[in-house]
Amino acid sequence: MRAGLEDVNALEVRDLGYRYPDGTAALRDVTFTVAEGERVALIGPNGAGKSTLLLHLNGLLPEHPAAAPAVRVFGTPVAEPHLTGIRARVGLLFQDPDDQIFCPTVWEDVAFGPLQLGLHGPELATRVARVLDQVGLKGFDERLPHHLSRGEKRRVCLAGLLACEARLLALDEPTSDLDPRGRRELKGLLESLAVAQVIATHDLELVVELCPRVIVLDRGGVVAQGPTAELLADEELMLAHGLERPHILRHRHPH
Amino acid sequence: MHRALLEPYQHQHSAIHRLSAGVKAGGALAFVLVIVLLPRAAWTAYAAAGALLLLLAGLSRIPPRALARRLLLVEPFALGVALLSLLQQDGLRVFAATLTKSTLCLFGMVLLSSTTRFSALLRVLWRIQVPALLVTTLALMHRYLFLLADETGCMVRARRSRTFSRDRASVWRSSASVIAQLFVRSSERAERIYAAMCARGWKT
Amino acid sequence: MHIPDGFLDAKTAVAAGVLATAGLGLALAGVRRTVPPRRIPLIGLAAAFVFAAQMLNFPVAGGTSGHLIGAVLAAVLLGPSAAVLVMSAVLILQCLMFADGGVTALGANLFNMALVAPAVGYAVYRLLRRVVGEGLRGRLFATAFAAWCSTLAAAISCAGQLALSGTVPLRVALPAMGGIHMLIGLGEALITTLVVAAVARARPELLLEQTGPRLPPRYGELAARGVLVALGLVFFVAPFASGWPDGLEKVAATLGFEHRAAATPVLAAPLPDYRFPGAGTAALSMVIAGVAGTLVAFGLAWLLASLLTRPNGARAHPSGKGEVPGAPRAA
Repeated sequence: MRAGLEDVNALEVRDLGYRYPDGTAALRDVTFTVAEGERVALIGPNGAGKSTLLLHLNGLLPEHPAAAPAVRVFGTPVAEPHLTGIRARVGLLFQDPDDQIFCPTVWEDVAFGPLQLGLHGPELATRVARVLDQVGLKGFDERLPHHLSRGEKRRVCLAGLLACEARLLALDEPTSDLDPRGRRELKGLLESLAVAQVIATHDLELVVELCPRVIVLDRGGVVAQGPTAELLADEELMLAHGLERPHILRHRHPH
Repeated sequence: MHRALLEPYQHQHSAIHRLSAGVKAGGALAFVLVIVLLPRAAWTAYAAAGALLLLLAGLSRIPPRALARRLLLVEPFALGVALLSLLQQDGLRVFAATLTKSTLCLFGMVLLSSTTRFSALLRVLWRIQVPALLVTTLALMHRYLFLLADETGCMVRARRSRTFSRDRASVWRSSASVIAQLFVRSSERAERIYAAMCARGWKT
Repeated sequence: MHIPDGFLDAKTAVAAGVLATAGLGLALAGVRRTVPPRRIPLIGLAAAFVFAAQMLNFPVAGGTSGHLIGAVLAAVLLGPSAAVLVMSAVLILQCLMFADGGVTALGANLFNMALVAPAVGYAVYRLLRRVVGEGLRGRLFATAFAAWCSTLAAAISCAGQLALSGTVPLRVALPAMGGIHMLIGLGEALITTLVVAAVARARPELLLEQTGPRLPPRYGELAARGVLVALGLVFFVAPFASGWPDGLEKVAATLGFEHRAAATPVLAAPLPDYRFPGAGTAALSMVIAGVAGTLVAFGLAWLLASLLTRPNGARAHPSGKGEVPGAPRAA
């Protein structure tokens, strides 16, 4: 291994385990990598541990620092004293956008992250304007979160993450409860972003459309990972883990 | 009542709306102080103040019926207490002066809140050095008010559709359990919000 | 009982404002000290929660309905300092955006509903719990009586402020505000206790969390809060308490204190020549009514707590009949 010259992976997870406070195992020996700029989907039945896994990517879990951090982001271990930098680089999109938009107006919410990172004044204003434009919400500065549609809220959350100049996005069910148009817009947005993405989702059509690689999680462990077309077409595998072969692949007969 | 916070009039454009929140808040405060400090029988001053308010209301282009409706919502308590003041010597004068003063001040504050967004007022509070913890609390409260009010509405409807008796006791019990569930949900949501704040670098 | 602008005179409004600022400052310091960072967002959410809860209707009679105030509910669920902050936030919002409560009266309203109500309520709550022990019934009884007391205390403070400003004479304000709020307090007690009981059933750990890791009480802070509330109540109500019932006057004479009793009370009354009309009998009857009302509320609180924790397996119905939860009652 030529240490200094190899590409740093966006994300490296090695033998990650996690137990809930009551002792039940939520994650067992999870191992995978995500290259820079790569889009990977994380699929599995409810309760598989997808959300729990995502919370490990920016250090929100484990509550008490582990002896040897199992997660590395761009080469840096996800542990103190690197957490501030990690949380800027890893943008975690929560399942419920109402949990994530906690400021009185859209502008203030998007500005929250960069403010914490020390950005002020005209630089801050420029950055906020840029990311709002990037997600297609130009002019939404003074809007109240309560007035926004689900899709708009999701995009505000994304803007907030982009404002921190995240290079790895961890997205928890980004298209759940979006209407078809909202879903299309979000998919288009994610496609346009060149950063690495880990997308935990039930939306298998989205997985086929966006992610060349997929990781199947069940009961806290990785049961399969590999090219999307191959894994998702494997009906037996899908059904065994509470999933199903997506419609998009149903009419593609490989032979 | 929370519809007042969502009144479409706050986002309108008029000479009054365009004024900065600090100016409007300061002006309203000054107005109220003057009215309260006026001697009881300053009837000409009251009339002038009333005229000023009507002028400002006109400039703000808010439909008069909406303003009147908001005013009427808060009058009853003022009226009730003012009536009590009749029961003393010189009571009629006290009653009249108190009612006039409070109505003028109410009108002024209704104008302020109809033309100013709460988030703008919060920024004013922040600038005048109100403690951060209090401003944060006010901001979070305002942000989640509507969400919780909507959740409450949903829960109440769900409960009522599962209650087959309509006596008072059932209504009380179901409302109380709605409030309890609201608290539980708020607790859980608060934890997630904390996680979201930390995820974007919030350091206490 | 939000006092509008124009009902309080300058000295009362300023005094109340000073007391409220001090109390709020103490509460902010208390929150920063006792509430872990994880729970800071909860305070804002709790303020939204109280506001939303206040919107729920509790039908009383005819077309009227009651509403929760929430001071004691907040104190029981979040602790006294957080409760002060929560109620303050609600009152400030109501003042600024709903004109519910005047701007110049904000100090007084904060003092009554965000300081006196949670402080008195919590004090009664803790005192009673120490007496009745750790069980749920004891907790519910303490909650009920504390909620009643807090409502009454806030009303008395409010009456005092109105009287001190010369807007409403005390002999009218006290019975009117006090009397009405003795009844309103029953509703507050009932609602608060029902909610606490429901939370105890659904998520008992939420009730324990607040009393969990017992931080050594800062007696200085407790004392400061108590002094603040007492100061305010004394300032607003004491000038009128010179109408001692006859019995006490006799005692004072016998013990040689008659000179002091005839003079002004400890805090210089702003109107030293004010004579409480009909001192003897009117004051005495008010005291009797007050004591009687308190005893009734005390008994009702105990009854409510007993009804809610009836060990018959089914959820206790306030009317006394047991009921299986979720099953439709016979029409």
